[in-house]
Amino acid sequence: MTKKLILFFISFVVTGLICQFFLNSYIQSLVISFLVNAIMALSLNFITGVANQFSLGHAGFMALGAYTSAVITKEFFGHQWFMIPISALIGGFIASFAGYLVSLPSFKLRGDYLAIVTFGFAEIVRVVILNWNYVGGPRGYSSITAWPSFTVSFAITGIFLFITFLVLYNLKISWFGRNLWAINENEIAAEVMGTPIAKNKRSAFMISSFFAGVGGALYAHHVSYISPATFGFLMSVQILIFAVFGGLGSMSGSVLSAMILTALPEVLRSLPTGGIDLRMIIFPILLILVMILRPQGLMGRKEIFEK
Amino acid sequence: MTTESNHVLNIKNLNLSFGGIKAVDQVDFHISKNELLGLIGPNGAGKTTVFNMISGFYQADSGSIQFNEKEISALSPDQINKAGIARTFQNIRLFGQLTVLDNVLLALQQTINLGWFESLFRTKTYIEKERLLTNECLALLKIFNLDQYQNEEANNLPYGLQRKLEIVRALATKPKLLILDEPAAGMNHQETEDLKKLIHFVKDKFSLTVLLIEHDMKLVMSICDRLVVLNRGLKIAEGSPADVKKNPAVIEAYLGKRS
Repeated sequence: MTKKLILFFISFVVTGLICQFFLNSYIQSLVISFLVNAIMALSLNFITGVANQFSLGHAGFMALGAYTSAVITKEFFGHQWFMIPISALIGGFIASFAGYLVSLPSFKLRGDYLAIVTFGFAEIVRVVILNWNYVGGPRGYSSITAWPSFTVSFAITGIFLFITFLVLYNLKISWFGRNLWAINENEIAAEVMGTPIAKNKRSAFMISSFFAGVGGALYAHHVSYISPATFGFLMSVQILIFAVFGGLGSMSGSVLSAMILTALPEVLRSLPTGGIDLRMIIFPILLILVMILRPQGLMGRKEIFEK
Repeated sequence: MTTESNHVLNIKNLNLSFGGIKAVDQVDFHISKNELLGLIGPNGAGKTTVFNMISGFYQADSGSIQFNEKEISALSPDQINKAGIARTFQNIRLFGQLTVLDNVLLALQQTINLGWFESLFRTKTYIEKERLLTNECLALLKIFNLDQYQNEEANNLPYGLQRKLEIVRALATKPKLLILDEPAAGMNHQETEDLKKLIHFVKDKFSLTVLLIEHDMKLVMSICDRLVVLNRGLKIAEGSPADVKKNPAVIEAYLGKRS
């Protein structure tokens, strides 16, 4: 295990150095996008894949984290980039609290019904931000504290991704993951075996929305401009695609699919198609093919490093 | 012998209606310690409803259910399990895609507190705790000769073994009262014979009190110490299998009135 960690750490640093010295800022920005997308995909995968609670509201949690962190660093921490990790965590806690509130009325719901509730929540968040002048309303919130350089951004976002992965993966393979999986398989039986259903589901929801908030915060500091339009329905669906494509229940699958699906549209963009934008045709077709040929996603429930 | 203090489960004046239908009507009975009580009755008699009230899925309209002299009728299913009542299901409800070992582990891990931070950081104590739990599960599976299937998905087990696993899983929660809901449903003659032995074995080995709901009269008559007969929500008879067999009300409920 320690060997793997060291290997991972070295490859992480090497990737950073390569990006820093040999690649242009366009690729660098893509790499950060990938890291943020991976955090979002992991967070959704934990709630939808492991706990089987279908959430369409992750854009809402993301927005909460993004706006909280952006406002706090700018207004209270005086634009200091090194305060970003702390304000990202605060954003996470705010999102987690919202997750708790959402879970109160909805822990008895499942499947499509829960999806509608969470979707409704995301819309509420979006509309509130849209009408709130302090955070810019429909104009969006601009000149958010940015990272001083790519290296810093890569290192800190990368560490956040690493922590997210470690926490969610360890929870997945521990007693808590087993509880969630059992609830997912047969709720009534799990309850009769003494598993407190509501408590477990609520914890899962809060953990997931925490990391969604952190992901949102890192997103905000990466692009340094956010608006309510960013966090619409499409964002939720995009995160869902990441999670489903990688395999619901597979944490490493989510990271892998975030990598592929972040890179793919950009690769398709650069194809010589003679002025016609085939990107928006090829990308969905690929997704549909994957869903037909491999409905369980790339990894299913397995992890890359598991046999 | 049947003093109040000896009663593990004590049900008094239990009522439940669904709309205009009285599913359970003023039912009362008790189970003494280490007894094997059978709850029988024709289809629609209210057996499963009583069952669901004991295990917390239905709330009684009125009446009381006392377990070890504690009122449990208002508790939720998981709290009732923690109080010491475990049950199986008429239609098997295993965690199909989990392994046999994980099925039992899930039940056993509810009995201890594994902690959030230990599992987050996978500390030594956590891994040690997990190892102890796993060993305990394997020992339990070994008693029932299921340890050879430990890494098999529960769905892939043959029907008889799935029933057995359900009982093992219920035992893993360390109950004092085990409730079996039609365990012989869908079993052939040989499997029923094995089940009979299994129930006796479980009862003696873990010194349990057992409540059995069953359709199979032969099974019930041969293993139960005492029977309670329900019909249309009413208790119509109670007593030893031999007495109940002769009871005219029971014969009428099962076979109809003699013309």
